[in-house]
Amino acid sequence: MSAVARILEEFAAQGTPTPAGRAAAHALREHSLPTRRDENWHYANLRALEQLTHFSPNPQPSPEMPLPHLPDPLPGFERIVYLDGRLQRQHAATAAALARLHDSGLDAPVSAFEAAGDGRFGLVARMFAPEPLSLRVSGTFALEIISLSSAGAFGHYTDLNIELAPDARLELVEHLAGSGPEAAGAEPSALTCNTLRLRLEAGSQLVHTRLQQAPSSSLLYETVAARLAERATYRLRQLSASAANARSSVQVQLQGRESAVEIQAIAAAQGSHSADTLYTTLHEAPGTRSELLFRGIASERAHAACSADVQVGAEARGSRVLQSLRGLIDGKGAEVNLRPRLTINTDDIQAAHGATTGQLDETLLFYLLSRGLAPEAARSLLKWAFLSEAMGQVGPAALRKRAESAIASRLSDAPAAELLL
Amino acid sequence: MSAPLLKIENLSVSAGGTPVLKGLSLEVNAGEVHAIMGPNGSGKSTLAHVLAGRPGYEVTGGRVSYEGKDLLALAPEERARAGLFLGFQYPVEIPGVNNAYLLKAALNAARRYRGEADIDAFDFLNLVRAKIQTMHIDDAMLARGVNEGFSGGEKKRNEILQMLVLEPRLALLDETDSGLDIDALKIVGQGINSLRSQDRAVVLVTHYQRLLEYVVPDRVHVLARGRIVRSGDRELALELEARGYDWLLEAVPEVA
Repeated sequence: MSAVARILEEFAAQGTPTPAGRAAAHALREHSLPTRRDENWHYANLRALEQLTHFSPNPQPSPEMPLPHLPDPLPGFERIVYLDGRLQRQHAATAAALARLHDSGLDAPVSAFEAAGDGRFGLVARMFAPEPLSLRVSGTFALEIISLSSAGAFGHYTDLNIELAPDARLELVEHLAGSGPEAAGAEPSALTCNTLRLRLEAGSQLVHTRLQQAPSSSLLYETVAARLAERATYRLRQLSASAANARSSVQVQLQGRESAVEIQAIAAAQGSHSADTLYTTLHEAPGTRSELLFRGIASERAHAACSADVQVGAEARGSRVLQSLRGLIDGKGAEVNLRPRLTINTDDIQAAHGATTGQLDETLLFYLLSRGLAPEAARSLLKWAFLSEAMGQVGPAALRKRAESAIASRLSDAPAAELLL
Repeated sequence: MSAPLLKIENLSVSAGGTPVLKGLSLEVNAGEVHAIMGPNGSGKSTLAHVLAGRPGYEVTGGRVSYEGKDLLALAPEERARAGLFLGFQYPVEIPGVNNAYLLKAALNAARRYRGEADIDAFDFLNLVRAKIQTMHIDDAMLARGVNEGFSGGEKKRNEILQMLVLEPRLALLDETDSGLDIDALKIVGQGINSLRSQDRAVVLVTHYQRLLEYVVPDRVHVLARGRIVRSGDRELALELEARGYDWLLEAVPEVA
């Protein structure tokens, strides 16, 4: 039986679904999940999905289970903690944050992106997420969401809907991590699916950092769908440092005049894992701007991939598109695939894009060796330098340190962080 | 008389299967400044890079000793830590790697090689500040990426700054004068002269004698067709400037 059929079967056995869950299941039944034949899914590891034996979330988690060690709090941030997709309401910081946030109560309908597009793994999250959360942010807010998954053959799902009121400012950090020691080389035994819908109303601003550190026991699919009204700005820093096969599908719709998205992304893949990301940006209004900077490193036999699909509609006059995709191959069996794609349906546009993949520059390496640096330090330094432009945007300092540590764990050499800018 | 600091004996080198150096011999003593001149494609930069250990060259014959050790047996980083410095003709830009910290890492690598402790941060700052004044380099450049966005002249001055901080026993400067205006040339010349001592040696690889107006060499050599074909004192450089290289090449048989 296929994974989709088993997912639907397990969902049906769960009892009374929410209307959104039911709609998601309906869409999944109709459109199924992507396959490698889908152009944007060629580099995702979908075979591992078929090998999973269970999909449902853990039906009987202990509500009083002590939380594993959490990263140090980020100064000025409220914090929400999930464990296996369940909100840890007994956790004081989580309770405090939830009390301060407004539950919008919205059960957002399944969008076309989720139902039939590249966001289809979001359907699985909506079907199984034990505690969907829908928030509305007004004024200024800083929120960290930590999502931990424990070992075991259960699925981990979160379903988040966040709306920013007009002129609201939100600094959002999402940190996905395993809760236990990482078993090197372990086969994935659990599906992790997270879906996040963002709605930025007029003039609102979102700075969003996603640090992805899925454990090797996970098979990770993440979906982000953002819609921006006029003058809204969305800054996304996506850092993929999972010990697992991971796929992220991000779609940003620039629906309002002069709305803008700026994405800096790093993917570091090691071992035999794949880190695959799709960024789809739809320019649907005049004067919209999108920038994407991607830096991917594949070590050993790993695979890093980035597809960047920008579609500029006829109505998006005076828009601007910038894309810079670069890949670094750091292993004999490693592979990097970059796919920039621009579809432009208006004459009045500024667009620039570049995509390059290669190995460490031997001239730069020799320069550092000729200054007495050890080969491993020199290689490490050049890899960090390669990532520096994207990493440089990550803040505050405590988060930057956490992100650097996460990325370092996915590179074959220890970082020489003190040598970086 | 003590052994030469650098002794090259009958060195032959190929690049991509093509012979470039064809039995080159040269001795450089501590305390001396040598200039190696020659026409384009004569093998000057190849010599500098082979001595510094750059991959991509095949040594097909000969020997090189530095401080009495087999230089060619050492890895590039070991040569650097042992006090051999290569000033690049085209210094590379490394965005994201801090200029000052690279200097410190390079200095500490050499200090550890000599059995010394890492330099204290305060002492390092004082040392670098003194050297950047010599090189007329803005403090702000230290905080930037290595050579990132530097002009050609700034890159060359930065190379000399690195040399002054590292205080190598043997500096190989590969066309450090190329692309410099007259003021920058003077500054670079001052920097090189400030390193001169009885314990060190400098080998200048250059096309022109104009740098030699500021850094007066003890010996001048002409490298042509893969070998040293003429050696002399400063007057030889002036003669080359006046007459070019053709008269020398006519007298040198091509060696396969």
